[in-house]
This record gives sequence, structure tokens and C-alpha cells, in this order.
Amino acid sequence: MDFGFCLSPSSHVKMDDIDLTTFNRLKDANPDINTCIACGSCTATCTAGNFTEMSFRRILLMLQRGKEEEAKKMIQRCMLCGKCTLVCPRGINIRKILLDITR
Amino acid sequence: MKENILIIGGGAAGMEAATQLQKMGLTPIIVEKSENLGGHIAQWDRLFPAFHPAKDVVDQMLSQVKDIKTYLNTEVADIQKDNDGFHAVLSNNEKIDAKAVILATGFDIFKAERKQEYGYGIYNNVMTSVELEKFFRTGKDERINNPKKIGFVHCVGARDVKVCNTYCSKVCCTTALKQACEIKEVFPDAEVYTFYMDLRMFGPGYEDLYLKTQKDFDVKCVRGRVCEVSENMDGKLVIKAEDTLFGKPLKMTLDVLILMCAMEKNKSIDTIQQKLGIADNSDGFMQNKDMYLGMNGTAQDGVFVAGACTAPKSLPDTIGEARSVATQVFNYINNK
Amino acid sequence: MNSQIFHPFVLPFVLGMAFVLTYCFVGLFKVILQLPKDDRRQFLRSLVTPKTAWANIRDLFGDCLFHVKIWKRNPLLGYMHSAIAFGWFMIIVIGHVMLFTLKPLEGVEVEGFARTFTNFYYPIFFKYFAEETPVFAFLMDFFLLMIISGILIAVAKKIHSKIVGVKRVTKFGFADNMIRFALWTIFPFRLIAEKTNIMAFWWLYSFDLLIFMFMLPFTRYMHIPTEALFILMRHAGLNAREPRKGYALAQLYSCPSCGLCIDACPMSVNDKMSGNTSAYFMKKLRNKDSEEAKRIAETCLMCGKCVMICPVSIESCDIKFSQRAAVPYEIHSDHSYLDVISTEAERSGEISSTKPKTLYFAGCMTQLTPKIMRAMQQIMESAGEEYDFLDKDGGICCGRPMLLSGKVAEAQAMIAKNTELIKKSGATKLVLSCPICYKVFKDEYHLEGVEIQHHTQYINELVKNGKLKVKKADVNYVYHDPCELGRAYGVYDEPREAIENVGNLLKAKSEKELSICCGGSLGSFNLTQKERDEITSNSVADLMFNNPDEIVTACPLCLKTFARKSPVPVKDIAELFVVHQA
Repeated sequence: MDFGFCLSPSSHVKMDDIDLTTFNRLKDANPDINTCIACGSCTATCTAGNFTEMSFRRILLMLQRGKEEEAKKMIQRCMLCGKCTLVCPRGINIRKILLDITR
Repeated sequence: MKENILIIGGGAAGMEAATQLQKMGLTPIIVEKSENLGGHIAQWDRLFPAFHPAKDVVDQMLSQVKDIKTYLNTEVADIQKDNDGFHAVLSNNEKIDAKAVILATGFDIFKAERKQEYGYGIYNNVMTSVELEKFFRTGKDERINNPKKIGFVHCVGARDVKVCNTYCSKVCCTTALKQACEIKEVFPDAEVYTFYMDLRMFGPGYEDLYLKTQKDFDVKCVRGRVCEVSENMDGKLVIKAEDTLFGKPLKMTLDVLILMCAMEKNKSIDTIQQKLGIADNSDGFMQNKDMYLGMNGTAQDGVFVAGACTAPKSLPDTIGEARSVATQVFNYINNK
Repeated sequence: MNSQIFHPFVLPFVLGMAFVLTYCFVGLFKVILQLPKDDRRQFLRSLVTPKTAWANIRDLFGDCLFHVKIWKRNPLLGYMHSAIAFGWFMIIVIGHVMLFTLKPLEGVEVEGFARTFTNFYYPIFFKYFAEETPVFAFLMDFFLLMIISGILIAVAKKIHSKIVGVKRVTKFGFADNMIRFALWTIFPFRLIAEKTNIMAFWWLYSFDLLIFMFMLPFTRYMHIPTEALFILMRHAGLNAREPRKGYALAQLYSCPSCGLCIDACPMSVNDKMSGNTSAYFMKKLRNKDSEEAKRIAETCLMCGKCVMICPVSIESCDIKFSQRAAVPYEIHSDHSYLDVISTEAERSGEISSTKPKTLYFAGCMTQLTPKIMRAMQQIMESAGEEYDFLDKDGGICCGRPMLLSGKVAEAQAMIAKNTELIKKSGATKLVLSCPICYKVFKDEYHLEGVEIQHHTQYINELVKNGKLKVKKADVNYVYHDPCELGRAYGVYDEPREAIENVGNLLKAKSEKELSICCGGSLGSFNLTQKERDEITSNSVADLMFNNPDEIVTACPLCLKTFARKSPVPVKDIAELFVVHQA
């Protein structure tokens, strides 16, 4: 049947279909991950963020919203310098989590 | 039935508790370490949410305690408890016997230099919310020189594991918005930015204050925590933060940066607190019996707490607690 | 003396000895074969190079037999180890020397193969088969008693380690405890057997030797034969490249699990964390417990203190590093974006200055401690230096944090870009205020013609040559040695010399090579904030030993870490030279 128009893919995040395996693996190893208040300190201070889109805050969100591939791409920019870990007001061991994601 | 009640601290909590106890027929005695009564609130210009002059409230409180025995520039040097009650020795060597003790020692302001990345004490134009309030009161501060761009940083020393304070300091959000409006009143052409994570407008009229900042004063709220401050060649401040709603890091030049410093426990009473056997809670403030019905009680029978010595509190909170502690003390004395 | 050349009680010993010799030779070839080709050539060449050969002989005696390094740290422990090792060595040597003095026993002709066979066990059971001359008899008894005196100290250490000045000892499993018991009883049995000639004790002696030698390869006592090989390889200048192969394997088996590193480790602030120390890492890796080895390797602060105090000189940090490098990664870094970065000066075309220039690289961590940057700027201004900032507006990471994760190849992009920027600047001196950067610039960068200085050295030089005028104040300072500056490069004196110009320098409880990591190290990936805090508090207490007015450090990370827990102000060394300028 042809209705004369087609549906473009929905732009909604399909929360029902998201595979949280990676995020849950990270969460089990680093329970602090859930204490993030999304203040953006990590992103603002990020050495790589000076030159690229790198944002740990967004990587965490991407992993929870089914954008794992995007997250894995973004993480390649990281220099592991540790500034994010130093500024995080929640004391999240960001550097360790970044390393865990790439494994 | 004239019974002495020793009140340590002559700020809002101490004064209000003293007033009520006197009305109940007891004999409150205030010991204040500084040279005048009033505490932090006496340093304040106007109060949120309605810009009420702090002086009005303080003057009213002062007039109520003028007949109450008060020691200024005095600290409690030692305290003992026995079956007759408490026996305190003051720093002027006077001795006071009391049936009950109220700790109304309040708070200290977080020392902003501890957060080195914000540059307080390094760059000239970084100041604290307390200093800004003093500017409103006196109209004088050489750092504020017809600024064009002003920034407020929320949660300085609060919700921050890195300075060992994980709690929310409760009043800074509202204070920041109040001060943002006020500075706009002084410099209508200036752009005012606040950098917040959550705007906690928890009380009556507070949300209206927020709406006012948006409708009447055009205060620009950016959701993100400032993480680095530096100074450029012109002596202007350059701040870095992430605009988390837009999802990109931002850099911005400012003329003045105001740090909304958190409340911390006033540690000047620590030795007396230890002698009385009262522990600190996980936030480093004094531990009360419980946060509901026992909020004025402590682990020590006859020792009571009121105000910001147990947690960050607003002025209305503090006055409420001061009144309730008076009732608790009255009951304690009468049921004995 | 018994008129026979053989008795069945020697068999357990012979069996054990044959086993252990076979095992050691197979192991020796395995290790050598596992070496990369270049390393192997280097190793073999070092054996015949006079300089290394001499060092080999010196250390084989000094370390294996006399335990000189333990003597230096703890004489009682030194005696314990050398009494057992040297005593045992001597009775074996004397036993063999006595073979030459052995006259064929009356009526017993030993010739050919039989003679060779008897040579195998005669020195061990000499007294049973032959007579000693009085001099030899005295020497044998002397060394036997020496060993037993060492064992008595060992027993005392086991019962109450504090007697010998050790707080925490390594916790052992069944096999290690059993072989230790065998070792302790070998010599008393021998003494009793020799003096009484009761057959049961000869049997017990021989069986003890069997147990000892049979278990040797599977316990920490394997360090006795392996250490010799390790010493040779260390002098050849090899590096551990894979965690369980070649040189690293030789080191794993050379670790005696003596536990001296446990008390030294900054993590030993509680029992749980003391399980992260090198002694356990080596043990887990040796026993192929790779999960635990990986965990410990990534928990280590990499402060290098265990390497510094190790009596065997095991380079455990290198092995941990190779362990980190051995972890497979699914995603690899892409730092291609660095290619297009240029400095501000480059963009504005200001880079033609040919004057010798000092370049200051603040580094990532210093961006978060603006006081240090500000102080460095003021110092360079006052000293009239021709200087420039490499990363005023935020730069590129030095690469050390990436290296520390074991990603050696992926750090190269950063190293290359920084090298390019520095070379283009035309500077002749590079000053770093961060020891993390300092280490990688020293180790990995090839900056010919550029002198690399840490700011402690730079400031000291400025004061010395009169460029920076300061006045001494009556303030009591204590200086904390950052790990990557002190232990890594021995920069102990310059900062101290500099501080003495502006105030009184007090001593910390543990100083210089024994200084305790602040707890903030980027070396560790796993430690939680709470665990780090415990380490920090302990390190602060150590610095506060003589009640200084202020703590001075020379690392932005130490500064930030200490500031959380210190009861007194913590400052970077550069700040002092702004405050106390004349």
C-alpha cells in the first residue's frame, strides 16, 4: 500500500531497546559512576576537549542512551591526563572508567 | 523559678532562643566570642527572597535581648557537668552555673582559597559572596569597578568531595539569585551569569525570586560548573565551564567572579563540644539526637543545639529552631 | 666413620638434588630463550665484558651470600640472611674441598663412575663416610652453628616480627610454610646426626633435603638459585618486556617474598591495602594468578619505593608496567587531531626570535593550580629571564599518564607534537613545574640542544647565580620529595638548597628516597578516593613529624592532594620564592 508519504525514523531515544551491557559492566566495576551530577567539570577541563568534542559527561550519557558506537569513537580522543578525575566533585574515578570502556 | 541557661553564640539562633527563654521565666546568659551580637546576619545587607533589609530583623532581635545578661568578646574556656548542672569557666575567668546549655555556634564560611582553581587570593577580581554582600552594605569594594560582565559560581565548597564537603549548603542558590538581581540594580548595563548545577529554590517565594531574575533582571543561568579560572593579559578573568544543556565547553571573559561559598561548621567551639561529649555528623557539623523530634537534643542530657551548628540553614529555619529549642529547654527544666 | 661408600639414606637427597638441578637448567635455558634476540646477545656479551663481569662477581657475593643491602637497612635481618646463606654456602664449599683431602678408606676402593657418584653426596654427608681433619671439623661446626643462629632469629621473626623491627610480614600459604619448616630443621638434624651418628637423624636430614629441594621450584625459595641469574641479567642492562617471560620471569623467581617492600609501600596503611604491595604482586604473577596480578599492577601508585628498598633490586615497577602493557584493548586512541595544532605564537607569526629562550611548560595538572603558574611567571619576570609559556592557554598532555596505562605506542602522538612545538620555539631550556612531565621529558623525549630542568633546579640556579634575590624568613618548612622527581631522578638536594635560602628546613620522618607518596599519584588506576585519603593522611603525618609551619612540595598533584588533609598550609616551592623575594 502506498500512502504517498513515508515515515522518517523516529528521533526518540528508544529506551525499551537499549542494550546496557557496557554501562552495567562499568557500573559494577565502578559503582561511583551513578553519583555523577552532570556538572560538566570533566568536559570543561578536558585537555583533549580543547581541540575536540571529547566529553566524559556525554560519553556516560551515550552509553546509557544506546549510542555506544559514538561513545567509543569519542573516547579515542582522550589523552588519559587525569584532569577530569582531579576536578570531579563527586570523586568518580573517571580515568579508570575511561580505561575500562576501551577494554 | 530562676534557672540559668547558658547560650553559647549570640547570632540569630542564640538571640532568639534567649528572648523566648526569658519570656518563659528562665534566665538565659549569652556568651559571644566576637565584639557584637548578631552573628553572620549582621554582616548581611538584604535577605532573600523579598530583599528585606537584614538590619530590621537584627535590630528587632537586639532590642529583645537588651535586658539579657550578655558577655561579648568572651569564649567558654572550660565546662563541667555534675548533678547540679553545668559549670562553665569563661575566658575572662568568670564562672557560670547553668541548668542547661544551648549550643548556637552557627557556621563558618568555606575558605575560598582552598579551591585553588577558582583563583581566589590569586586573581584580584575573584571575590566571595560575603564580600559582595559587604559591597551592597557599604557601596565600597575596589574590585567592583563598573563591571560589564559578572559571573556567579554556585556550590563553592559544597557538594564537593574534593574539599571533603559532600552536603548541599542550602542557601547559596537563593542568595546567588538575590545578589544577581542586586548587582543588576547597581549596574543595569552589566551582563550577569550564574553557573549552577541545580537551582534549589526550596522555600516560599523563592521560585518567584527565580522568575524575577529571568523576567526583570535578565540574569543568564548557565547549567555547568566552572572548573578553571585564569587571567588574561588585560587582567580580566577567563573562566572555563561546560554548558551542559548545550553540550559544549565554553570559555568566557568576566570582570568580576563571585564565589558562592558554602557554610561549614564553626570549629572554634570544638574543644567544648568534645568535653560535652557531642560528636560530629558525617557532614562535619554537630550531631543532634535525630533530625525529626530530637532535632534540638544531643547525646548529652541538658545540652541542646539550635541553628546552623548542626547543618546549613536559612534564617527562617534558624529562628524556628531557636524557638523550638526554648520549648525543649523549658520542658527539660520543669520535668526535672 | 663407617666403612662403606653408600648407604640408602643418601637416596632422598640424591633424588632431590637431581630434580632441582634438572629444573634449574631447564628454567635457565627457557629464560634465556625467551629473551628477545637483541637482549640475548647483549646478555651473553655482558658475561665476557670485564666491567660487567666484575660487577657480577661483586654482587653475586655481596647480594646472594652477604646480603649487603639488608645489612644496610636492618643489621639483625642482614645477619639472619647472611648467616643462613653464607653459612650454607661455606659448608658446601668446605665439604667439596674436603673431598680432595679424602683418603680412600681402608679396604674400600672407589674408582671411576662410583667415585663420581660418591662425590655427589659425600660433601653433604661427609661425617658419615669419612673423617674430617681437626681444622675442617672446626670450620664445619662453626658454619653449621652460624646457620642455626640465623634460623633462631628467623623463628623469632616468625613468632613476633617486631623483634627484628618489621611491622608487616608476608602472609604465606601451605607450601611456603612447609618448605620453611624443612629449611629450619635441616641443619639441626645434620648437627645431631653428625654428633650422635644416630641413623634416624641421617634419614631425617636427608629427607628434609628432599622436601626442600623438591618444593624449591614451587615456592619463594626458588630465589636462591634464580637470583644469581637475575644479577647477571640486571648487569647486562636488560628491561622487562613481558610480564612473565625472560628477564621478568627471572625477576619473578628471584623475589624472596621477604616482605621488606610491604612496610615500605605507601599503601600499607591498613591490612587490606597492604595486599597490593609488590611482594604479593610478584607472588600472584609467579603463580599465574593473572587476574590478581593485573589488579595489583593497576592499583600500584608506581612511586618506586619498593624498587628502591628491594634487597634483591627487583624492578617490580617495570614488571607492573609490562603487565599493564600486556592488557589487550578493544579501542585504540586516535590523536590525529594533534597534527593541526599550532601555538599562538606560531599563528601570529612571532616566532622569529633567535635569542636563547626559556620555555615553561606548566602541564595539565598545573592548569588546576594557578598559584604555581602565577609564581613561575613572577619568578621569571623578576629574574629578567627571556621566557615564554608553551601552554598558557592549555596545552597537550606530556604523554606520561598514557604511558602509565601501558599504552606506549599511543603516547607517541603527544610526545611527537610537543617535541615539534618545543623545537619550533627555538628555546634552549625547558622548565617544568610538574615531576610527572619532567620524568617523561627526560625519559622519552629527544630534545637535543634543549636543557630540561625541573623548576626546583631552575629556581635554585636562579638564586645561586644571583638572578633571583631572596631573603630568609623565620618560617619552618618541611619538603616533600615527589616520587617522579626524587626516587626517579635523585633530585633531592636542589630543592632543599633552594628552600634554605628562604626559611628553615625541617626534616620529615621519611625523607628523600624513603619519602612517602602523597597518594594522589596518576600511577594508580584502581584506588578509590577513600583509599587515597588514607595514604595521604599517613604521608601528611610523616611530614608533620617535626611540626613545620608549612609543607612545601614541588608537584601540582602532591599539592592538591596534601591540601585536602594537611593541618598546615601546603605550598609549591615556587610560591616561596615569590613571598620571600628581596
